[in-house]
Amino acid sequence: MTGEIERLAPATPEELAALLASCDRNGRVVAIEGGGTLDGIGLPASSTDTIVSTLKLKRMIAHEHTDLTASVQSGMTLHAFSTALAKYDQFVPLDAPLHKRATVGGTLASGWAGPRRHLYGRTRDYVIGSRIALADGTLANAGGMVVKNVTGYDMSKLYVGSCGTLGVLVSINLKTLPAPKAARAFHHPLPLNSRGRAIAQLQTMTATPAAAFWIEGFAKEIGGNDADDGRLFVLMEGSPALLDRATRDLRSGLGKAGVPETHVIDAGASIAFERAVDAYVATIDDRSATYRSIGDPSSVEERVLTMRALAHRFELRADSIADVMNGDAVVRVSDVDARSFVAKIEIFDDALHDDIPNAQVIAGSFPGRANLNVWGAPPPAIEKMRALKLRFDPKGTLNPGRFVGGI
Amino acid sequence: MLAERLADALGADAVKTAPEDLAVYSFDAYSESRAPSAVVLPASARDVAAVVRIARECDEPIVARGAGTGLCGGAIPSAGGIVLSFARMNRLLELDARNRRARVQPGLINLDLSKKVASAGLFYAPDPSSQKACTIGGNIGTNAGGPHCLTYGTTVNHVLALECVDERGEIFTTALDDSGYDLTGALVGSEGTLCIVTSAWVRLLRQPEATRVWVATFGDVEAASEAVSAIVGHGIVPTALEMMDGLMIRTVEAAFHSGFPVDAEALLLIENAGFEDDMDACEHAIERICRESGGLTWRTARSQAERDALWAARKGAFGAAGRIAPNTYLQDVVVPRTKLPQMLKLVGDAAAAHDLTIGNVFHAGDGNLHPLIMYDKRDKRQVAAVVEAGNVILSAAVDLGGTISGEHGIGFEKRDTLARVFNDADIDTMLRVRDVFDNSRHFNPDKIFPRGASCAELRP
Repeated sequence: MTGEIERLAPATPEELAALLASCDRNGRVVAIEGGGTLDGIGLPASSTDTIVSTLKLKRMIAHEHTDLTASVQSGMTLHAFSTALAKYDQFVPLDAPLHKRATVGGTLASGWAGPRRHLYGRTRDYVIGSRIALADGTLANAGGMVVKNVTGYDMSKLYVGSCGTLGVLVSINLKTLPAPKAARAFHHPLPLNSRGRAIAQLQTMTATPAAAFWIEGFAKEIGGNDADDGRLFVLMEGSPALLDRATRDLRSGLGKAGVPETHVIDAGASIAFERAVDAYVATIDDRSATYRSIGDPSSVEERVLTMRALAHRFELRADSIADVMNGDAVVRVSDVDARSFVAKIEIFDDALHDDIPNAQVIAGSFPGRANLNVWGAPPPAIEKMRALKLRFDPKGTLNPGRFVGGI
Repeated sequence: MLAERLADALGADAVKTAPEDLAVYSFDAYSESRAPSAVVLPASARDVAAVVRIARECDEPIVARGAGTGLCGGAIPSAGGIVLSFARMNRLLELDARNRRARVQPGLINLDLSKKVASAGLFYAPDPSSQKACTIGGNIGTNAGGPHCLTYGTTVNHVLALECVDERGEIFTTALDDSGYDLTGALVGSEGTLCIVTSAWVRLLRQPEATRVWVATFGDVEAASEAVSAIVGHGIVPTALEMMDGLMIRTVEAAFHSGFPVDAEALLLIENAGFEDDMDACEHAIERICRESGGLTWRTARSQAERDALWAARKGAFGAAGRIAPNTYLQDVVVPRTKLPQMLKLVGDAAAAHDLTIGNVFHAGDGNLHPLIMYDKRDKRQVAAVVEAGNVILSAAVDLGGTISGEHGIGFEKRDTLARVFNDADIDTMLRVRDVFDNSRHFNPDKIFPRGASCAELRP
């Protein structure tokens, strides 16, 4: 197809489905857009003809607060969603960056895995139902509005994390949780040789942190001061009694690891946490790329050190976040100017994947990005995934080329 | 021919074809029985792959089977074919205590997994009432729940990755790092219709620091239901929140003598696991809410032995029903939890209208009811009434915004009621997945999907 890219924002699920069907019939390639905050994941859809935005589908369909469930249209922002839930002291730990722009649908479609998941469960575990628009214009429901359901296949599982390549989520039903009564955050500079012991302490604490990061760099984005081994950011959530106990445990545990007295944030703990999450996708002009490797908590320190060492070998600056509780290694590499960055990033990308095959690019916009291995090594069973794509979107209308293995 | 080929591939001792052996595998906990043509007991994923290839070449269906505790006929054949038992693949293969996960074979018994990892301070959370017998593989097939999934979630929330055999007899794995489509999530709960699981990485949880169990009694199930809504409405999600009606209290007490007050008409068994620092406040809040909702008595289990006894009675409730009727039919429906009072009333109405006795013991916190219909299968009138009452209960749940199975699955039993919950377009999305994984329909045919939903009738 030739001609200009059209951008449309349907106002109803039916309108959206009809638009997809029309594009599908006419061989027009569709790119799907939410808040655009996670565009750095995967590649842009190839040769897009029509951009379909979900931003007009932004209604809370139902918040059954006494049932701890909610049904929300996909284009509602995380901020609007969490604000509505907060009226009843509830939340869903979606924990995606830039929550004022990010949408519920986009967060789920991208398969975002937030830092509090070891404590509250994975994002996808909160999805109890969904409504999807398929490429052929079919609107289909999956799951329901109950918290336990084994009636037929759980189709929502496939839609979550599919980056819009199987269909467009138009609404999602979620379990909600009572919000924790209190939150407290801690910054700890890490003196030389304290890091390994400190991480081990955090991973084995009985009063489990809601989130814990070993950070180096990202000073502007997150705040806090690096010592020789970087710094820790820890978020505790729960009852006031539990927070007091967790504070004592944390001080004593980190004290044993050689980490000195900590800086405590009570008011604004959640905002400090949001800043750390935002840093995952914070870019530096067109001269940075951020990689994430999901793996075991036991190997996260080693993976981050490997990624940082590689960056230094190529004379790239490295800012890193190690999600100590879940095992996600996040490293942003950057350079002082765009030209030298572009000259290095491809060879860095090759070298990185030799050591850490599953490293994915999650942020960064720069010339030559399409030449990187943005998804890392293809997952096992990629052939099953290709077959699913073919069965749901045989003409390759929806976000072609965006997903793993060129799906 | 089939049996010979299986014996050649797996060894004669791994194949059973004697009528008395086949009879054993013709039942699960569903009311009907159907015998397979052969039973195989593979010892490895490679064995399973060989069986699938032979079955395909001989055009025979395959039904994977754990312990056969399922209630919907998911583990029995439709007509002949192969039943593949995982009795020999029952090992814990690998424990990664630091990352809190284990790799297990599908035949491992649910409770055995928690016992085996207990010394590492860990446990496996999904705990169906049949956990002393049921297997992890069977749990994966049905996405099994249990009393403690109120906070911990069901099986799918605890499976990290799978190794499976596909319809061509090839072994494939799903990603442990969540990359690509969530095949793990889609395969869990597919009742053996998409592939055969040969091992699984499962998530383990750290044993809680403190656990308390309480029993609150009420004058009727409405008051107990109100307490359930009020507890959750106050922002308290206990680890388990179970309800029993008067009939089941007396039945269970007669069998287990665990000290349930037999004059109560409803009882809540409540457990909270977590931190010692929070326990007193939690206990006081729940006790106060129960009293405000019309609670009559309140009891705190004082010891681990007392807590175990209460749970043993709860998990043995359905077995105990054998004391009051020769046969029982256990239904499994879910409604939004605030609809519990209405749903319980509709269950009571169905019992009265069909002149049946129905007991209720269920996962109230999840809105997951288990009406237990008592009957005598020698009485044709009663059998017909059970079927009708069961149907009424299913429809009532759907009408209240609920669904027809919360944790047992669809199997044979509910395949024709699937269409009450999902329309043709919804079911068609599921069949697209079926086409990708089991296009030849050799894996557990005639389950889940309505008769005639095999393809053409539903597709334009």
